[in-house]
Amino acid sequence: MTTKFVSAADLMARVLGAEEFRYVAIEHPISSASEAALSAEAARTVAEGRQILAG
Amino acid sequence: MMPLSSERYTVADMMAAQEFFHSRNWTDGLPIVPPTAEAVQACLDWAMLPPDHLVGVEPVRARQITAEKLAINSVMAGCLPMHFPLVVTAFTAMLQEPFLLHGATASTGGCAILTIINGPCRQELGMSGTFNALGSSDRATTVIGRSIRLALGNLLDVRPGDVDRSTLGHPGKISYCVAEDEEDSPWLPLAEERGVPKHASAVTVMSAGAPRQIMNEWTTDPAQILDTFVAEIKACMRHYSIYAGNYAVIFPPQLRTHFAAAGWSKADIRNYVYENAVVHRRDWADCGKGAVVGSRGDTEYRALSEPDDLLVVAAGGPAGGFGAVIPPWFGPKSKACTVAVGACVDCEI
Amino acid sequence: MSIEVLDPTYGGGAAAFALAPRLGTLKGKTVGVISNGKRGTRPYFAALERMLLKEGAARVVLHTKSNYSAPADAHIMAEVPEWDAAFVGIGD
Repeated sequence: MTTKFVSAADLMARVLGAEEFRYVAIEHPISSASEAALSAEAARTVAEGRQILAG
Repeated sequence: MMPLSSERYTVADMMAAQEFFHSRNWTDGLPIVPPTAEAVQACLDWAMLPPDHLVGVEPVRARQITAEKLAINSVMAGCLPMHFPLVVTAFTAMLQEPFLLHGATASTGGCAILTIINGPCRQELGMSGTFNALGSSDRATTVIGRSIRLALGNLLDVRPGDVDRSTLGHPGKISYCVAEDEEDSPWLPLAEERGVPKHASAVTVMSAGAPRQIMNEWTTDPAQILDTFVAEIKACMRHYSIYAGNYAVIFPPQLRTHFAAAGWSKADIRNYVYENAVVHRRDWADCGKGAVVGSRGDTEYRALSEPDDLLVVAAGGPAGGFGAVIPPWFGPKSKACTVAVGACVDCEI
Repeated sequence: MSIEVLDPTYGGGAAAFALAPRLGTLKGKTVGVISNGKRGTRPYFAALERMLLKEGAARVVLHTKSNYSAPADAHIMAEVPEWDAAFVGIGD
């Protein structure tokens, strides 16, 4: 999700019993971001996601 | 008698109780009534509900909402036992899937739960649908509305910055409960129009933005009066959200009298608003949103998907040509729900 | 005089949660992506899909929820068991 929802992610992880759940946080907001910025965030998502899924 | 199952704590006195609850983020910032076992049991006894009665399940997180937990939060809010059945009914309505409670309470859109009360319970509980109808008109509507806020926070983590991501929110989040002024109205009560048997008490809940007050005391023509309401709805569509959903419109006596004189029913009002509360995508260009008009400028948007999506409510003090438009949280995502007092999760409601 | 008060918060505990086994690599995997469909998500998820395929994923399945304020539609959730991994967002 975006950086402004990190606390929501932490809360939901906690209440679902997954306190150590790792996620990717990208820059907020998306709605007005440029395509170049979104592409850069997608690249970061893949890089960080790769690490999370690799273990 | 089934015992209460909630954990218990001992606090030194009333002031200690305040700090105990505040420090744990269990309040809305206002003082609370300490929820003793006796006070909670009194609510359950009045409503004839066992503590483990399942009021409903919040569908997204699969959280079970029990009578005991609602009673605890109702006592905290200042409810007397006689107020409690209305809180149970409100939650029964809110937990229905079409209401989308999680979305409505989590959204950055910042809506609150508007609760409209109909039926004989209004008089039994001393509710006033007149002066200050939308701004804490009486004890019953104030504490019932507050109970909803406290229970949402304590049972579903709907607190600012937790599940509740409201950017701004509005004061209705503290309490947003209005009793319809049925006695001085030429129209059918809202709940009866929505299928509740005549003379039954009922609660209608709607995910609602803040009220937008209008004024038109310069005409007695119902269509012209409605044009002012429609203009406010269209402004909301342009400035906030263009998508169709439930709107509520509030008519005080000074305006209602003109509709009665002209023989306009609530259905006439709904049909008029349905036909006239229409904007086009190109209208966004006039209020700073031209970037998203694109090639779809002629696309037409109605405030209402159908006339019955307009909740027409008679309320307000005896003088003043004011009315109110209450917009939806966000289009059709959450649907207003009406439940009769005494209905339960297993009933055909 | 002391007062005994009741806990107003939800009494149920958190459900048991078990992390799925780690994949080790995305190469050859089927990756599901669930978008909430809000403005800006289309170019973001389009870029994500391209990059996942470049990373070596065998297939990327992109879905958009019908209501971005509600959980993913039932037909989307029904496909999840066929995926090796999922990219899902909760807020934007």
